[in-house]
Amino acid sequence: MRLKMKPRVNTRVKVFIVDNFIWFINAGLYILFMILNSRGFMTLHNVEFILYVSSMLGFLVLGEALVMITGGMDLSLAQNAGLSAMVGGFILGVMAPNLPGWIGVLIVLIAGTVFGTVNGILVGKLKYNAFLATLGTFIAFDWATFWIRRGAIVRLPASFLAPGSATVGGIHIAIFLFLFMALVLHLLLRYTQFGVGVYAVGDNPKAAAMMGINVGNILVWTFTLGGFLAGFSGLLYLGYIGAVTSLIAQNKIFEAFAGAVLGGISLRGGRGSIMGALGGVLLLGILDAGLTMLDISPEIRGVLTGIVLLVAVMINMAISRLRDRILMPH
Amino acid sequence: MQEKIPLLRTVNLHKWYGKIHALRGVNIDVYPGEVLALIGDNGAGKSTFVKIISGVEKKTAGQIFWKGKEIEISSIEQARNLGIETVYQEQALAPQLTVLQNIFLGRPWTKFGPLKVLDNKRMAQAARRVIDELGLNVQVDQEVRFCSGGEQQGVAVARALLFKAGLVILDEPTRALSATGVERILEFIRGLKKQGIAVIIISHVFPQIFPVTDRFMVLSRGEVIVEKKAEETSSEDLTRIVIEKTV
Repeated sequence: MRLKMKPRVNTRVKVFIVDNFIWFINAGLYILFMILNSRGFMTLHNVEFILYVSSMLGFLVLGEALVMITGGMDLSLAQNAGLSAMVGGFILGVMAPNLPGWIGVLIVLIAGTVFGTVNGILVGKLKYNAFLATLGTFIAFDWATFWIRRGAIVRLPASFLAPGSATVGGIHIAIFLFLFMALVLHLLLRYTQFGVGVYAVGDNPKAAAMMGINVGNILVWTFTLGGFLAGFSGLLYLGYIGAVTSLIAQNKIFEAFAGAVLGGISLRGGRGSIMGALGGVLLLGILDAGLTMLDISPEIRGVLTGIVLLVAVMINMAISRLRDRILMPH
Repeated sequence: MQEKIPLLRTVNLHKWYGKIHALRGVNIDVYPGEVLALIGDNGAGKSTFVKIISGVEKKTAGQIFWKGKEIEISSIEQARNLGIETVYQEQALAPQLTVLQNIFLGRPWTKFGPLKVLDNKRMAQAARRVIDELGLNVQVDQEVRFCSGGEQQGVAVARALLFKAGLVILDEPTRALSATGVERILEFIRGLKKQGIAVIIISHVFPQIFPVTDRFMVLSRGEVIVEKKAEETSSEDLTRIVIEKTV
């Protein structure tokens, strides 16, 4: 006889711990680095810097997480960030240097959104496989960036660079922008009809379609939103660097995946949360900052990042199984 | 005496898939509170009929009448707005979503206008009410994949009850269920009948659904070949007809 499946308090606590496991890892890792390098690591300046640098990658992680929840993936997000930044920088720095900086900001965001919509149409309406479609756009965006300009564009208005460089009370506004966007996305996915649609499409697209959910539209919108977030990432990167270069966000897609997976976004779709992805972003930020402070070379840091991704996938699978065991009726 | 108007009537319904003539002039009437079983072997046209009535596919030719008025069913949403609910063979459930989210899948109750914020409190109240009505032993915040086969069927049927369906189509409702699960489904169907809801059941396993069915229609190669009231036939008789027409 099947017992009544009312989650008891300790079941809820266990599920909470499992769902937010990433935050415990973050805390543990931070304490570890504090022990290894207490003078450098414990300062407020360092904490602020970790959050600041994490915010640029963070937008890419949020975009990737969103698409992964629908069961897809977007390999082109980082190249989108780079191309969007280059489009804005080229228009403002070369073609129309008298344009105000805020127009450049809009151009970058619109470009990112449009590039994301291209992916959305390919996957959602033309039914391309997401991996193949975004691999194609990855290559196209990458070379388009170089085609526009090899090298850097440095003469850019301060207001154009502001989102990625300005501070308020000693804290970079990029951090506020990132946290605000994470909150908006969390609310969107958790509390709106669109959010339920995103999870349903990722969980069982056939069932979603049978229940009248327009799967194609959901995919178009998620890729479009992902593109918008990539544009934001490009904007922050160019502010951080102080110039537009053809190498903005290069190779960051792998870290974006790592952040999303570390944060509990399921590779099969239909599961994971923005708050978890946020945790994944911070983990990468703490790891990078900690290893830098320990004078680990960039090459070894790169190797370690790859290893972290492999470990992240393993942890993701283990946590998923553990969660199932906790929730399975006895 | 005034003739009873069928809730759903199809007249000379045809469906072509390219060169394949899947439905060949199907005439079916279903009345409120009646349970009609469509039976037949694979490829008989049963699923095609369901897809047309539930808005998944469009008919090629013929007429459909709903409460006496001719209609065109061009989408799933339109069918549901009419009051036609379909419980699919694979139940159309998202396994990692909760019972509540699945009951309201595709049509959640929302507030704050265009923001479409989920009205979880109202949905939960309504879901609990209909779950209790069905005697389901599930929690609204339970992930559906942790429900038994019978409970999952129940969740799919709960949709029909909640949205005040006039016609519920059950596609292979007893498939892969235990004996207890089958009995639960039959209870659901009896409950739907009592509420005056018309039911169309598609089934290969008609001995299981015999106790609740009022009328049987046997389809073969896209046509209705036999129509019998339950009291005029038996499951052995129907089995013989289906086999004869398939061979």
